[in-house]
Amino acid sequence: MKILIADDSRVMRQIVIRTLRQAGFDGHDLVEAADGRQAHDAIVAEKPDLVVSDWNMPEMTGIQVLDAVRAAGNTVPFGFVTSECTPEMQNAAEAAGALFFIIKPFTPERFKEALSTVLG
Amino acid sequence: MSENVTPTVDDLREIADQVWSAYLDPEGIRPFQQGESHEPAKGVSASVSLTGAWHGHVLVTCSSEAARHAAAAFLAMETEEVSDEDMTDVMGELANIVGGNVKSMLPPATLVSLPHVVNGASNRFPTTRQICELAGTWLDEPFSISMWQGRDAGVVAA
Repeated sequence: MKILIADDSRVMRQIVIRTLRQAGFDGHDLVEAADGRQAHDAIVAEKPDLVVSDWNMPEMTGIQVLDAVRAAGNTVPFGFVTSECTPEMQNAAEAAGALFFIIKPFTPERFKEALSTVLG
Repeated sequence: MSENVTPTVDDLREIADQVWSAYLDPEGIRPFQQGESHEPAKGVSASVSLTGAWHGHVLVTCSSEAARHAAAAFLAMETEEVSDEDMTDVMGELANIVGGNVKSMLPPATLVSLPHVVNGASNRFPTTRQICELAGTWLDEPFSISMWQGRDAGVVAA
């Protein structure tokens, strides 16, 4: 499977990649995006099977990316990994069709729990 | 109103415990030791600003040595391999994680800025007061997480 990891923090992208491995999700193709616009363009161009996205990013926020791809008819499984978590954000994510909402800091166990329905 | 939402040192401790168990000390052998506050002679300061319904800053300060260990732990590398950029990015991410978690305790219309990192000096925030600090050591190096509230925050929140 191809997984797109979108986060403006290089450190956090590396941690997400390592945590995917620690959670037992090895051997997938990984694509990275450093802001929301890049993430949106990569979803269109790369056609990932899963998107793991930060919420607050330059250019477009994660929720704007999700809204834009859904408006274009794209149903790619999409979830958030974010240090900010308010009920409003969680409701917006759910309403937009997000699959999961992981809060930083996270553990491999949390990844396993949230992603096993998509990654098996 | 602002008294009800002001984070405390216990809140910072809870967030720090999660950060340590997830990234800095997943094996539970290098814990943060809460103790006296003392500013490192040569340190790294990372902060995020909170604006909107609540005005202030979250500040993470530690010695360069502690920042180097933090970067090594976050990036799964040896301390000798850590670059200045690694230290800056990891300290910024630390401030971002703490700030993001603190935000959930504050009024809904509060925004978190991008992180700001100062190497070799301590960050100062004029017209603010420190409302709580989690101070101590990590690996025998000074480490502190503190929150600073703008003095006009009560007016803004009302």
